[in-house]
Amino acid sequence: MSFRQKLLLLFALTVFLCVAVITASVWSTMRSSFEAANRERANAVAAQFRSEFQRRGDEVVRKVEAVTATDTVQRIALEINRGASDSAGYVSEARNLADQQHLDFLELVDHQGTILSSAQWQAKFGYPEPAIPGAIGSAGGFLKREELPSGSTLGLFAVRAARIGEQPLYVIGGERLDQGYLSTLDIPAGTRVLLYQNLDEKWNPKSLLDLNGPAAGAEKLLPLVEQVRQTGQEARSVIHWSPDSADAESFHAIPLSGPNQTLLGVLLVGSSQRPLVELQRKVVSTALLVGGSGIFVAILASLWFATRVTRPVKSLAEAARRVAVGDLAAKVEIDSTDELGELASAFNRMTEDLVQQKDRTLQAERVAAWRELARRLAHELKNPLFPLQVTVENLVRAREKAPEMFDEVFREGTSTLLAEITNLKTIIGRFSEFAKMPQPQRKPTQLNEVVQSVLRVFHAQLQDKKQITVHTELETSLPEISADSDLLHRAISNLVLNAIDAMPQGGELTLRTQTVGGAVELSVSDTGSGLTPEECERLFTPYYTTKLHGTGLGLAIVQSVVSDHGGKISVESVKDRGTTFRMDLPR
Amino acid sequence: MRRIVFLLLAAASLLGTAPGATRPRYGGTLRVMMQAAPNTLEIPAAGTPSDYWNLARILAMVTDTLVTLDAAGHIEPGLATTWQSEMNGKRWQFTLRHGVRFHDGSSASAAVIAKILGDLHPDWGVHASADTLTIETDSISPSLPAELALPRNAILRRNSDGIPIGTGPFRVAEFQPGRHLKLAASEDRWAGRPFVDVVEIDLGRALRDQAIALELNKVDVIEASPQSGTNSARIGTSLQVELMALVFPPNTRAQDARLRDALALTINRKPIQSGLLRGAGEPTAAILPNWMSGYNAVFPVQANVQRARAVLADSRQPALTLNYDPRDPQAQLIADRIALNAREAGITVQVSLSGSPDVSLVRIVLPSSDPATSLREAAQALGLNAPILRSSSVDDLYPAERALLDGHSVIPLFHLPLASAVSARVHNWNPERGGGWNLADVWLEAP
Repeated sequence: MSFRQKLLLLFALTVFLCVAVITASVWSTMRSSFEAANRERANAVAAQFRSEFQRRGDEVVRKVEAVTATDTVQRIALEINRGASDSAGYVSEARNLADQQHLDFLELVDHQGTILSSAQWQAKFGYPEPAIPGAIGSAGGFLKREELPSGSTLGLFAVRAARIGEQPLYVIGGERLDQGYLSTLDIPAGTRVLLYQNLDEKWNPKSLLDLNGPAAGAEKLLPLVEQVRQTGQEARSVIHWSPDSADAESFHAIPLSGPNQTLLGVLLVGSSQRPLVELQRKVVSTALLVGGSGIFVAILASLWFATRVTRPVKSLAEAARRVAVGDLAAKVEIDSTDELGELASAFNRMTEDLVQQKDRTLQAERVAAWRELARRLAHELKNPLFPLQVTVENLVRAREKAPEMFDEVFREGTSTLLAEITNLKTIIGRFSEFAKMPQPQRKPTQLNEVVQSVLRVFHAQLQDKKQITVHTELETSLPEISADSDLLHRAISNLVLNAIDAMPQGGELTLRTQTVGGAVELSVSDTGSGLTPEECERLFTPYYTTKLHGTGLGLAIVQSVVSDHGGKISVESVKDRGTTFRMDLPR
Repeated sequence: MRRIVFLLLAAASLLGTAPGATRPRYGGTLRVMMQAAPNTLEIPAAGTPSDYWNLARILAMVTDTLVTLDAAGHIEPGLATTWQSEMNGKRWQFTLRHGVRFHDGSSASAAVIAKILGDLHPDWGVHASADTLTIETDSISPSLPAELALPRNAILRRNSDGIPIGTGPFRVAEFQPGRHLKLAASEDRWAGRPFVDVVEIDLGRALRDQAIALELNKVDVIEASPQSGTNSARIGTSLQVELMALVFPPNTRAQDARLRDALALTINRKPIQSGLLRGAGEPTAAILPNWMSGYNAVFPVQANVQRARAVLADSRQPALTLNYDPRDPQAQLIADRIALNAREAGITVQVSLSGSPDVSLVRIVLPSSDPATSLREAAQALGLNAPILRSSSVDDLYPAERALLDGHSVIPLFHLPLASAVSARVHNWNPERGGGWNLADVWLEAP
């Protein structure tokens, strides 16, 4: 991963984390606020229900008091106190009175708690009213379970007594507490109220009512209702009606008890979670949009910034690469005063120092080369010059001291002079030949064939030196290379000749070719006395030789050929074990 | 017998008395309302017992029977003037009234009547000879005259529209099924022309509507509850000829006789009679009313919830559906009370008009003052097997009735009187003690 990519990733992550943290914070705050509002709304509805309950209770009380004050009730109370033997005539009175006051329930009950007349169950006259003992004295409305021919139901009741004489006549009337009652409640939008009539010992889903009757999906509310039934305390729960969380509702369950604290009903105030969920979704989508936009902007900004930051680094790297390949003129142009600017200045100073040092080295090497050349030339030329000097001196001396032998000395002297002059010409020709190394004429060349050709040239010589054994390990599938076969032949010949010279006492000469990566490799090994590391370092320097009669140009020529082919040559040598030259040539 | 006579005298004292000092007047239209709304004027082969009685009440104004029965069960002449039995009650010979004609003018000869009765009773041997009609039965039939007095044995023919043509005081002038029936006076009836010219009967009118119409003087004769009171009307009640009972149809959930027995034991009849029937009628556990049989005391009517629970013995019993006649204004309350009583013994009874009932609350009218005939007719109406009766003696009646009630397929509840009310313009109002209307003798005050 590049430095720019790292910077890019870092910036993007930073922006993403910032957006995520802000979104989470907003979401958490919003959720807690909404839940608080939800609770307040549920509490408001519950308070409204209690207020409505109280108001309706007062209304029932008023109606029951009105019934109690009617002539009919007063007459019945009077007749009872006068000892009326047959109360059967009152059977339909309660219904008439209930109709007048629009009461769902109305019973006339004597002082013994026996029903004289029942509006809701006319046939119930003569039966006891179990609620009377506990309800007597209730000032306001109270909840009561009411038995009807069709089953039980829940009602909001009030009881009053008509007292004429010693035996009171109780009037107990009420209204149904069912879906009709729920429909009269003023409920805030997004809220609904359910009523569970706790009329059975066990959970009965049909007793859970909404505005339209038995509520759908009642079973999901079973745990909440059961919790209230078990504890008698208020409870809350969130009900998920479908996999869509927007369909969930938060329910607040409020117990409804009768006069003796018997749990008769559970009011369930449900608040839809949809506004919260939709708000959450909106926040999340906004956060995603903002976050995405932020990340996009961050990418653009980081691109610009990373480019701005990495441009000097990149220039520095490019300049370093140029220096690495020898271009010491490479400069880094950075107009900044920060660390990168200092780095660039240091780099430029370094390259300038390198140039100066190179120039100095080059000058020193040139001087050294000229000295070496002069030393070699002096050495090479000194050997033929000494016989020439001796011969000329012999001729002079013979002319002066033995003129009769001058002719003979002259003949011998001139032949010696010619021989030495020829020798001088040979030495000068070699130097000239090194100076005139031609450029390679490349064409597809099979290295193995060149090696075989060289070995054929040296075949006779190697035959003479029985002590040298030749081994060849040539890779059969060696690819062709683009090379000048004549120059390669010359370079390999030099290496073979050096190897032969290195093994005057005989040994093993090994030539090996192989494919290494994208190049072909030729190694020429001998088992001679080997070279020292210092010798190895200077081995390819022109005119450096370890041999008594070498010119020091052989390996220099080899290196020049290999270099002209874009390859490289190296040497490995172990003292007393031999030397290996390894030549790598690109394809 | 002395008890019966006493009851008759007591009942007579409750009847409205005819203003005998006023001279009868011919003419006028008598306006009548009925709760029934028959679509035909044929006594249904299958229907509720009340349907039978309603049609019978109408047909009684159009037709005659060979003989009639008075409230004491005495045979009175009808189309037959004399009768006698032979062969120990297997053969009966009737001498027919001479010169009787149907409303269409055709002769009600012995041959025609023999043909009509022969068609009604294929198992009888009915023979005509001049003015004499002979009926032969396979078994001894001591109460054959009482059976011939039943409405279903009325002598009538039908025209092509199914309208009955009889020999009664009125002829059918117009019939709108379920809505209206117009009867016109039969001018040449053998017993003389009725006083009113026309009887207009509005059908399908609820009892409450009838009472209101009577209060508004828009009707002259209505059906009424025995306990109802009106300001401007006179109530006439019959003997207790109506039986209210619970009937268990076959193949219902009430197959266990213990359940039916327990239900019978839970019903506290007295509060129902005093509270819901307003004191009318008598609680009963027998089919025949006591004035007819005299032995009702041996059928206890007291509720016994503990014994009911013991009968059930913690057996698991199904919930029963109880239905009632929705046209009967008291039936629902009584059914509710029965269900309430049943709960005390742990029996679940649901009062409902929907679905097939396990038990029904019904009223039937005992159509004859002859106990044996009434028991036989009641058994048929209640879906019970026909009782085996050789005579109308208590020795025969009691075991037959006991046998009918064993198994509790029927739970008798009350014997009730039938009641009618007439407006003040109706004179000589003298309804039959058996519950029938005798509109041929009434006359209307001049407008």
